[in-house]
Amino acid sequence: MSPLRSLHNALGATLAYLWSGWGAVASILLFCALWELGGRVYGDLVLPGPVATLQQLSGMFDSGQALPELIISARRALYGLGLALGIGTLLGLLAGRSMTAAMMSRPLVTLLLGMPPIAWLVLAMLWFGMGDATPVFTVFIACFPIAFAGAMQGGRTLDNKLKDVALAYRLPWRMLLTDLYLPHITSYLFPAWITALGTSWKVVVMAELLTTVDGVGAALAVSRAQLDTASSLGWIVAVLGLLLAFEYLLLEPIKRRVERWRTEPGP
Amino acid sequence: MSELHIRHLYHRYGVTEVLADVGLDLYAGETLALVGPSGCGKSTLLHIIAGLLTPSEVVMQSTFRGLACVFQEPRLMPWKTTADNIALGLKALGVPKTARQRQAAALAQRMGLAPEDLAKYPHELSGGMQSRVSLARALAIKPDLLLLDEPFSALDIGLKAELYRQLEEQVQQQGTAVLMITHDLMEAVRLADRILMMVPDPGRMVYEFTLQQPQAERSSTWVYQTTAELMQVREVRIGFGLDEGELPVQISHHEQHSGCSV
Repeated sequence: MSPLRSLHNALGATLAYLWSGWGAVASILLFCALWELGGRVYGDLVLPGPVATLQQLSGMFDSGQALPELIISARRALYGLGLALGIGTLLGLLAGRSMTAAMMSRPLVTLLLGMPPIAWLVLAMLWFGMGDATPVFTVFIACFPIAFAGAMQGGRTLDNKLKDVALAYRLPWRMLLTDLYLPHITSYLFPAWITALGTSWKVVVMAELLTTVDGVGAALAVSRAQLDTASSLGWIVAVLGLLLAFEYLLLEPIKRRVERWRTEPGP
Repeated sequence: MSELHIRHLYHRYGVTEVLADVGLDLYAGETLALVGPSGCGKSTLLHIIAGLLTPSEVVMQSTFRGLACVFQEPRLMPWKTTADNIALGLKALGVPKTARQRQAAALAQRMGLAPEDLAKYPHELSGGMQSRVSLARALAIKPDLLLLDEPFSALDIGLKAELYRQLEEQVQQQGTAVLMITHDLMEAVRLADRILMMVPDPGRMVYEFTLQQPQAERSSTWVYQTTAELMQVREVRIGFGLDEGELPVQISHHEQHSGCSV
């Protein structure tokens, strides 16, 4: 394929992707309308409307209060997430290679997935105290089984028929990896990674709320203590905004690019 | 000249004996068809020759160097475009990207694929087109031994005839040896120089049929007549369950072989 043509295709795909965002925007605006309605009914003290919340949020950004806290939380979430994805994916792939390991780890994964993060948080507080390590560990332990299960599933479901093709055509081990295992496994990993990302944000805010003195969670604790509903909602919107931006501007386009062999051709 | 010799091939899955004392010879430029009912071990035999299975016991000698497989289903990599799928074997051989893309494009054209199909993924191709890609992938590495596992069984007559022609061309021009599995006797008669009949429980050879007529002189009438003739053979009738009867298991008695001599 000529470079011009691939550029043309990539551009077309990007535009189509952005255009498909209108549906999402409309749905979010509809939600805001309902939110506004609720705000009007219950009053500003109980439920400030979206406009009031956004004003409060931009005020927090202007005063230089919001950004450092968000960066702290993001750093903790990404450390925990990075560790979980790295170790979970690696171990999951290894477990996927062996029937015994897969059978042994399945109940463990169920156990880990079923254990509420708040329980881990209590343990982490006892083990690591009130520092950075507690939220990072909690995020790690909450995301680890998700990445592990995804990778293991990918490893287990590899089509033996395609493996036969690879062996019959004498693919060297490096090509086995790049042309067979990785493309297959990526299609299992990406959904798991996106789920883990969402979990990491939720868990980091929760962990900070209870343990640390800085970060979005801690700021939420303060605004709760002051009965400042607008600030609380402002923080929540900020966290959700970051999550949405990360998922839809970074992960989703990568996923589309990597998995374009899966999607049906556009209309 | 390249040759393949197999003697005393036994294969067991657990306690079930799938292949018992199978032997065959194959020479360059020759087309050998394995026919037989389902479950007679044809595919297992092919997998063993392709090196995908290690048999329980065998004496095998092969001087073929480039081996290509066409499987029953196209088995294309779903994440690769047509061009990359055709070039898979070339990539494994270390052919540079531009060269292998050029060869893939040329082969695709020979197989009757349109240039715009090269950038498509398998799910965008019809079943017949996928089969062409699968055959092109095998021919791309210019094999001297081509193993075909019923690759044509799901195709319509027109496409079958076209792929037969491609195959004949390959055999004539490159002197490729072909070992094909089929349960279509007519297909075997049309393409093969020799036909080996296999039966199950345990999988073994029971009958060999040599076709003298050169490929080019095989008219449809001749194919029908010869197939009809073949259908009258006792082993074939019993093997396919058309007649009642038993085919004796003849195991050649041999010393516990050391694996060195044929």
